[in-house]
Amino acid sequence: MLDTRVRSETPTPDCLQDDLIAALAYGSLAPDASAAVLPHVASCSRCRAAVASVARALADPVIARELPGARAGRRWFRIAVPLAAAAVLLLLLSSPWGDRLPGHRGPPPPPPATTPIPRSPVGSVAAAKDLRWSPVVGADRYRVTVFDETGGVVYASESSDTVVAFPDSVALVPGASYLWKVEARTGFDRWSPSELAEFKIALQQR
Amino acid sequence: MEDWVAELERGRFDAAWDLFLDRYRRLIFAAIRHYAQDYDDVMDVFARACEALRADDLRRLRSWVEQPEHRARFSTWLVTVVRHLTVDWFRHRDGRRRLSVVAEGLPPLRRRIFELVFLDQRSHIEAYELMHAAEAPTLTFREFLSELRATYHAVATGRRGQILRDLAPTSEAVENLPADPAGPSATSANEQSQLMERALGTLAPDDRLIVELYVLEELPAETVATVLGLANAKAVYNRAYRALAVVREHLERAGVGQEDL
Repeated sequence: MLDTRVRSETPTPDCLQDDLIAALAYGSLAPDASAAVLPHVASCSRCRAAVASVARALADPVIARELPGARAGRRWFRIAVPLAAAAVLLLLLSSPWGDRLPGHRGPPPPPPATTPIPRSPVGSVAAAKDLRWSPVVGADRYRVTVFDETGGVVYASESSDTVVAFPDSVALVPGASYLWKVEARTGFDRWSPSELAEFKIALQQR
Repeated sequence: MEDWVAELERGRFDAAWDLFLDRYRRLIFAAIRHYAQDYDDVMDVFARACEALRADDLRRLRSWVEQPEHRARFSTWLVTVVRHLTVDWFRHRDGRRRLSVVAEGLPPLRRRIFELVFLDQRSHIEAYELMHAAEAPTLTFREFLSELRATYHAVATGRRGQILRDLAPTSEAVENLPADPAGPSATSANEQSQLMERALGTLAPDDRLIVELYVLEELPAETVATVLGLANAKAVYNRAYRALAVVREHLERAGVGQEDL
């Protein structure tokens, strides 16, 4: 019965200006400003639809790629934190005192089977024609995203397979580093993300 | 400061426009293409967007630059403005004749729903009442909602899906059908609508917005989390689950059983 309500299309003086709609849809509105406008947006179907429409647009990988320095900052933060954590972990595991750490019992346990693992490309590679990852039991779809060094989305795609080919339109720059992750859909709107994997197209030797 | 802003502040509008367009052409095109896929439509909307942004010595751009405090990033504001211009352009251009082309491939009942909802901008209830009173007196509300859902899915999967979603007067999800096969009457649907409005009104604004965006607007949970400033999608699931439980409890106290939800 939720869908039986009627939406008013007539703007009111309280309706949000474009900059507020943009900031709210992007999640960049200051908490106090957000708290001030939420009651109106919650009850105004016109503004709510505009926020939803813009949020949907900003989440579109094609648009996200064109946002200059915008999401990149936040996304890079999300990437940088796990990367830093992984680096610390790697340092601990490979350091000379690592073997003496209390509780260390050989190699770390394998990741849970509910998480996909990026297989290739990883590290320095001559070319990257496709992305491959390990399957997850029960997953019916995979979502893969490739980021450049600034955190900008270079390529995003979905597949029911565990491999997706790079289209010709994606030009990977030799020498540049890229990060990618894959998410497995394991339930209704439930996605299990992999760790970020890094790869680099090796420069051609002359 | 971006170079086009510097030129704008010097009053050199042509130079500012050239620099602005050089900088943001791709973003404007990407935003338009999000809503429109037809090449001719994209080019026409792009021309209209440029005309609107350049009008009155770049009035729109100046108004943004002159704001003492910017609440949004320029690029996200620009996407919002382009969305606005795109929807207006389609609404202005797409009279009954052009939109009717979309309806041609639909079965008769869905075509009629499309005409009432998308062309005549009727609410769902109004559309049902009109159909029930005239050409389909035996059509139950549940059957109507089922057909309505199929109509939304049919038009949203076409080449004009995104823009149609914005052109429709309502975009509420067509979910939670009444369980009674006979379906409630339009009158009881109206009563339910008011009850639901009251039940949602008991929620805190952010909880209500979670329900509205996640359940009704069908935004991905991750996007809802971004809008509401929540930690992750799981927080959205949890809050939506609790909020819907509150709504359900309110409705049950008002005499609406779970089987009616």
